[in-house]
Amino acid sequence: MQAGQTRAGIGLRSPHAAAFEAERPPVGWVEVHAENYMGGGPAPRMLERVRRDYPVSLHGVGLSLGSAEGIDRDHLAALARAVRRFEPFLVSEHLAWSVTGGTYLNDLLPLPYTEEALAVVSRNVAAAQEALGRKILVENPSAYLRFKHSPIPEPAFLAELVRRTGCGLLCDVNNIQVSASNLGWDAAAYIEALPAEAIGEIHLAGHFRDERDGRVLLIDDHASPVAEPVWDLYRRAASRFGEAPTLIEWDKDIPTLAILLGEARKADQVTAAVRERHALPV
Amino acid sequence: MLSLSEIQRGFRDALLAKGTALDRHVVPAEGIDIHRNTVLVSLKTALRDTFPVVWQLVGEGFFLYAAEEFIHTHPPARPRLADYGGEFPAFLADFPPGRSLAYLPDVARLEWLMARAIGAEDTIPLRPDALTGIAAGETPRLTFHFDPSIAYLESPWPVDAIWRANQPGVADASVSLDGGGGFFEIRRHEDLVEMRALTGAAFAFREALSGGATLETATEAARDAHPAFPLAEALRDLFRDVAICGLALAEKP
Repeated sequence: MQAGQTRAGIGLRSPHAAAFEAERPPVGWVEVHAENYMGGGPAPRMLERVRRDYPVSLHGVGLSLGSAEGIDRDHLAALARAVRRFEPFLVSEHLAWSVTGGTYLNDLLPLPYTEEALAVVSRNVAAAQEALGRKILVENPSAYLRFKHSPIPEPAFLAELVRRTGCGLLCDVNNIQVSASNLGWDAAAYIEALPAEAIGEIHLAGHFRDERDGRVLLIDDHASPVAEPVWDLYRRAASRFGEAPTLIEWDKDIPTLAILLGEARKADQVTAAVRERHALPV
Repeated sequence: MLSLSEIQRGFRDALLAKGTALDRHVVPAEGIDIHRNTVLVSLKTALRDTFPVVWQLVGEGFFLYAAEEFIHTHPPARPRLADYGGEFPAFLADFPPGRSLAYLPDVARLEWLMARAIGAEDTIPLRPDALTGIAAGETPRLTFHFDPSIAYLESPWPVDAIWRANQPGVADASVSLDGGGGFFEIRRHEDLVEMRALTGAAFAFREALSGGATLETATEAARDAHPAFPLAEALRDLFRDVAICGLALAEKP
């Protein structure tokens, strides 16, 4: 690792691709959306060059692990080709669905947490891991509604998914804050309920706070700095999930690289403080 | 209690057709509006990214109106936004508010082909001397495998001039529509997409070959357009202008 290099990674988005090649910013690693690098042409060639200097994580958004009809074989094959091409150190997807009846709804849509859904997601995760020849991490979603019939708490659903498939988890701390605020959960208790040994990555991002008629709605828009309550939750997550690599995501109104690096350094300070505390004699 | 399939179909209907069957199964029902908004905004943005000149030509209000209609009637079928919008040109051709802009669908076709070219699979081109080993008697049955970024577009409108006049930073966006249309070849070269105007005969020749026709059939198509079509020159130009990635011999008739 270079001197001054961050431990935390950042999401590499196209506005910063040229800067990554020209300046080699001191970032520990990068994550990209897998779907943007599945074809040919300049974008994947850029990623191949970046890959020489930085560990890369592939974060899928289109596999639809929650689809009752199963996952799209062609899309899975395209993801497998991307995994072979870029040799990522992490591969992740979402506890969500976006495909039904052959229509792709371009969003991470919510699942009811039932035995039926658990069986569907487990089958799809197992199929993905089989095709990719490796373990994937599954990310907790941000929620704006709950199903009336959804008897399994989300952390328990994720823990059982891990037990059945051997997958890991991507703990998105911002998503926990968003869901907890929108649905009235206890965010700290959620983190305590996740299976710590399964956490392979942590995400941090900004959200939008919409306050109307005394009601607060949080929207997970990745368009601003990480909010203070999310940093507080991250302290808890970092102390519980130890050395899991942390990523700063920022997808809209993308700021300068310097600002992204500042967010990554802030995450590093949190993990350094946690390590120091754990190293103290009891 | 709904099955997961029923929930997912209900969600699709709620997002694309404002169906309400799901409302009594979720709390709060307004949460569905947030997902509907995400889907619509992200797909409109994807269409704007693929069709920036169409956006420029018709303006934001018209574009977003057309895009929303299109999204409802032609939602994406593939989980990659780069694959979305192939039917938008034909949709625009049938879209009553757009009928006064007769060239719009062909401009959209051009933009779609350019967007496809940028992300087309990388290939390794054959060298021009690849033809030297083919016995003379077999050349009529030759077929050519073109680089997947290459596409052909014939239009009665000067879509190349319209496209160029509507690029960022171009001060004068006026184009004479009287100049007529043309025969266009689109391809990715290095990391850039290029567009080239061809003669009618060269277009007929290359378009036929790119579609898998034999050299004999493609030559006939070219000679329909131009009886003195020079085959040797056309083959030389073909290897100069476009990447040929493979040769094969069609079955004997």
